Amino acid sequence: MQHKQVIIIGGGPAGLAAALELYHNGVTDILILEREKHLGGILRQCIHDGFGLLRFKESLSGPEYAQRFIDEIDRLHIPYLTDVTVIDITADKKVLAVSKQGLLEFQAEALALTMGCRERTRGAISIPGTRPAGIYTAGVAQSYINLANTMPGKNVVILGSGDIGLIMARRLTLEGAQVKAVFELQPYPSGLPRNIAQCLNDYDIPLFLSHTVIDIKGRSRLEGVTVAAVDENFAPIPGTEKDYPCDTLILSVGLIPENELSLQAGVELDQRTKGALVDDSYQTSRPGIFVAGNVLQVHDLVDFVSAEAEKMALGIVAYLHSDSSQSTHLTIRGDASITHTVPQRVSGKKDFILSLRPSRPAQNCAVQICQNERVIATQTFRKVLPAEMIQIPVAANLLAEAGDLEVRIAC
Amino acid sequence: MLKKYTCIICPIGCDIEATVEQDRIVAITGNSCPKGIDYVSQELANPLRNIATSVLIQNGDLPLVSVRLDRPIPKAEIFPAMTEIKQLCVTAPVQIGQILLQNVAGTGANLLVTKPVRATG
Amino acid sequence: MKDQLYDVVIIGAGVIGSAVARELSRYRLRIAVLEKELDVACGNSSRNTGVLHGGFTYRPGSLKAECTVEGNREFDQVAKELDVPFKRSGKVVVGFNDEDMRNILKFKQIGETNGVRGLEIIDKDRLYRIDASAGGEFAMYSPDSGILNPMQYTIALAENAHANGADFFFASEVTAIDNSTGRYRISAGDKCFSSRWVINCAGMNCVAISEMLGISGHQVKGFKGEYFVLDKKAGQYLNIPVYPAPNAKGGFSTHATPTIDGNVLIGPDSYLTDDPDDFAATREHMQGLIEDGAKMFKHIKRDFFIRNFAGTRWKRVDPDTGEILDFLIETRTDKPGIVNLIGIESPGLTCALPIARRVVGKIRDREQLAPKPSFNPVRRGITPFAGQPRERQQALINADPNYGEIVCRCETITKAEILSAINNPLGVVTVTGIKNRTRATMGRCQGGYCETRIAALIQETLGSKETEIRYQHAGSYLFTGKVREDDHAA
Repeated sequence: MQHKQVIIIGGGPAGLAAALELYHNGVTDILILEREKHLGGILRQCIHDGFGLLRFKESLSGPEYAQRFIDEIDRLHIPYLTDVTVIDITADKKVLAVSKQGLLEFQAEALALTMGCRERTRGAISIPGTRPAGIYTAGVAQSYINLANTMPGKNVVILGSGDIGLIMARRLTLEGAQVKAVFELQPYPSGLPRNIAQCLNDYDIPLFLSHTVIDIKGRSRLEGVTVAAVDENFAPIPGTEKDYPCDTLILSVGLIPENELSLQAGVELDQRTKGALVDDSYQTSRPGIFVAGNVLQVHDLVDFVSAEAEKMALGIVAYLHSDSSQSTHLTIRGDASITHTVPQRVSGKKDFILSLRPSRPAQNCAVQICQNERVIATQTFRKVLPAEMIQIPVAANLLAEAGDLEVRIAC
Repeated sequence: MLKKYTCIICPIGCDIEATVEQDRIVAITGNSCPKGIDYVSQELANPLRNIATSVLIQNGDLPLVSVRLDRPIPKAEIFPAMTEIKQLCVTAPVQIGQILLQNVAGTGANLLVTKPVRATG
Repeated sequence: MKDQLYDVVIIGAGVIGSAVARELSRYRLRIAVLEKELDVACGNSSRNTGVLHGGFTYRPGSLKAECTVEGNREFDQVAKELDVPFKRSGKVVVGFNDEDMRNILKFKQIGETNGVRGLEIIDKDRLYRIDASAGGEFAMYSPDSGILNPMQYTIALAENAHANGADFFFASEVTAIDNSTGRYRISAGDKCFSSRWVINCAGMNCVAISEMLGISGHQVKGFKGEYFVLDKKAGQYLNIPVYPAPNAKGGFSTHATPTIDGNVLIGPDSYLTDDPDDFAATREHMQGLIEDGAKMFKHIKRDFFIRNFAGTRWKRVDPDTGEILDFLIETRTDKPGIVNLIGIESPGLTCALPIARRVVGKIRDREQLAPKPSFNPVRRGITPFAGQPRERQQALINADPNYGEIVCRCETITKAEILSAINNPLGVVTVTGIKNRTRATMGRCQGGYCETRIAALIQETLGSKETEIRYQHAGSYLFTGKVREDDHAA
C-alpha cells in the first residue's frame, strides 16, 4: 500500500491542470493515474482547433492544448502512471488500480476525481429498429478516424447537434464521406453557433431541428434510417416520416459524467448534472474527495475545465491544511429557466464561480442571483444558449450569513 | 441587403447582422468587439477557414499524426489543400510545431504537427 | 468438389444443435454442425430471458414438462461441468386479484403433477422478504427455478462438443438436401456434406429444413417478444425473477428478470410475426413494456435503460386448429436417418440436454452407438478477472500481465480475456462473438470505451485488415477502409 498526499484519477485536461496547481501551491506528493498510454485525455482525439482561445489567446488543437500542460508536468517531474485503470475507490480515500505489474493499492489524504464523461448510447435512448454495424457515437467515430486511422463509413446521417456531432460532420466530410444531414430533437441546436457555422453551413450540410430518428434498417450493415419531425412533447408527428438511405449513423445525443468510481466511494450525485454535489471548494459529500471537469459537469470550453480544476486544487490545498472547516450550508438552486448550477452549496465565506446553463435559448436577459429575496448579483447577456455554459464570479462579501441562493434567468 | 453571420473568432459567437451593399458593409450590429467587423469583412471578401486533419506517419507509436494549418486559408482551397495533405507520409519522431508542408496548395499556409509522435523500433 | 463425409450432420448451432452435438460427441461418430451465421447462438438462443424453468405451466406428460423437470434437476451438475455461470435463484409468480389466484393455483397443481418440488403460495409479507422490489399481493414461489447466461451456455455446449471431436462449420446455410443415393447430401455454404444422419435443429427455420428433408405438413408460428436491458444499478434491487400470474392458457406477459450478470431484463411481450429474421425493436411495443415492466419491478426508470433487443419463439401449431402443440422430436420409418425437431421454443434452454439425449435415443433405436473413451464432459470457459477476490486477481496478473490491462472498463474485462475470446476454439471472429464470450460492450457505455480497443486487438492478433472485421453477420463490416492508405513502402 503506497501513501500519497493527493491522487488524481484521470490525466486529461482537468487532472493535468489540477496537478500543476497543486504543485505550484506546495503540494508535491501527488500521483496522476491515467488508463490510456498517454496523458491528455479526450483532447488527444480532438484534433480540431478552437481550444485555448480564452486561456492562451490562441486557437490551438486539443493535443496542443494538452501538451502545454504535459510539458510542464514532465519538466517538474510530477509523477504519473499510464496504462493503469482504477477499479475502486473508498470513502476513506483508498485507491485500487489494475496494471500490468499487478494490483496497485494506494492510501491518499485527498482524491481528485477527474475522470471525464462518456457518451449517451443508442440503447439509452431506445432508438427502435435492427442492430446492424455502422452505428457509432460521435466520440467513437472520432477516435477511429483520428487515432486508429480507420474510416467508419461513407454515407452518413448524424443524430444530435451536439458539438462532437458537428465536429464529426466536418471531419467526415474532409475525409471524403458524404454527410447527408444532421437531425436535432430540440427546437434549437445543442452545439455552439460557431460549430454550426464552420461544420455544417460551410459544407452545406442541412440541420433539421425538432426531428429524430424513429427507425433503423439493415440486417448486417446499416442501410438507412427513418426520420420524423417531433412535436413539443418530442413525440413523432405522424405523416412526417422520411427515409434516408445511409451506411453510417453517428449519434451525438449527450454526454454523461462518468461517476461509477465516485459512487463506489459513496459520493452523492446531483440527479440533474449526473455529477457530484459539491461546495465552493469542489469538495464532494465525502471529505477529502474533490471533483472537477466533465466528471462534475459537462463543459463546452476546455479553458473553463482547466480553471475549475485549478480552483479544485486550491480547495484540496486548503483541506490538507485543515482550512476548510467552514460549513457549506448555503444551498444554491436554479428555477426552471436553469438546467443546473454548480456548486450546489457554499460557505458564504469565500469567493466562488457559479456555473450554470440556461434551459432554453433567450435574448437580452439577465442572470440574477438572489438571496433572501434580494438580487445580490446580476449579469446581462445579449443572448444565452443551453450550449454555452455561463460562469459568474460571486464575491463572498455579497453573501449574507444565512439564506439559500436562488438563480434565475429573467428576460 | 441584410446578411447574418455567426462570428467564429472567439467562443462568444456573436450573432452579427450586416447591411451590405455592393460587397461593402454599410451598417453592422451584434458584434461585441472590432474583430467581428474584421470577420464579416473577410467573409464578404474572401472567407477564410483553418483545417485540421491527419497525416500518415511511419515508425511511430501512432499511425497518424494530427496536423493543422498555421493560418486560415480561403474556403475554396479547403479541398485542394486536403488533396495535397492526403498524399503526405512522414516518419517519426515529430514534434509539435514542426512544419510538414510549406505553402499548402499555394495558399502560403504551412502544415504544422499538433501532437508529438515518438519513434518505435 | 469432394463431399465432406460424416455420420451425423446437425443443422443449426443454437442451444439445441449445440446440445445435440455435445451429447452425440460421447460416441464414436463423425459429427458436423452446420450453422448459417458466423457464430453459435445467433437465433433465439441469444434472445431469451435466460431462465431455467421449473416446469409448472406445461401439460403433464408433454415433452415440455418432462424435459423441463429433467433439465432443471441436473443443471447444477451441468453448469459445473461446462463452467457456465448459473444461479438457482428461485422465481415468484405474482398476482393481484382472484383470477390471478385461480390461475396460479391451477399451475401449482400442474407443477406438482409434473414433479416440480417446493412450490408454495406465499403472502405479501413473505414476497416482500424474498424481494422487496417485487410488485404483487401474493405469489407462487418456485425455489428450483434459476437464471443463466444462454449465450455462455450455448458456447459451452458447442466448445465441449468441438473438444470432443465435433466439427463446426459457420457461414454454412443449408440450401439443398438430396438423399437419392441412400446417404444425405447436403449443400451448405460453399461445401457439400454427405451424411448418414441429419438432425434438424434449425429453430426458427425448422419447417423450411423439414421441407428440404421431404417432411411436409408441419407449421410453426412466430411469437415475437421485445426486451429492455437495465443497468446493473437496477440489478441490485432485484434478486429473483418476478413473473405476472399466467393467463388461463399458461402464457406469461412481461416479466422482470435479473440476469446472472447482474442486469435486469424487462420483457418479453408477445405479438405475432411471420419473418424468421424479424428482430427489430419497435416504438409501439416499447411503451407497453415500460408500463407492464413497472408493475413487476418498482425501480424501473429511464436512467437504467441501456439496450433493447427482440427474440421470437417459433411454436409448433396444429395446421387446422391453430392450437399450440408440444415439442416434436420425430423420426419417420419412410425417411430413415432423419431426426426432425419442430417447435423447440421456450423452455428450450432448460430442455436442451434432455432433448439432446432423446435425439441420441432415436439414433440408438436404429444402430449401435460405441462410446468414445476419450470423451471429456468438462469444459473450461475464459477465466474472468471481474468479481474475483484480490489475491486471485493478483495471481492472474502475475501469471499473465494481459490480465493487468482493462479493456472494457464498465464490466472490468481484461485484455487476457479478450485475447482468449479472439482465439476461441470454434474460430469465431466477430465483435459480437467476443462480446458473448466476455461481456465486453455489454455495460453502460455499450462499447464506447472498449470497441475501439477490441477492433485493434482483432487486427493485431489475427492480422485482419480493418475492412475484414465483422460486427455479427456476414456483410456487417465495421469499417470501409483506412483514413490514410499506406501506399508508401518504407
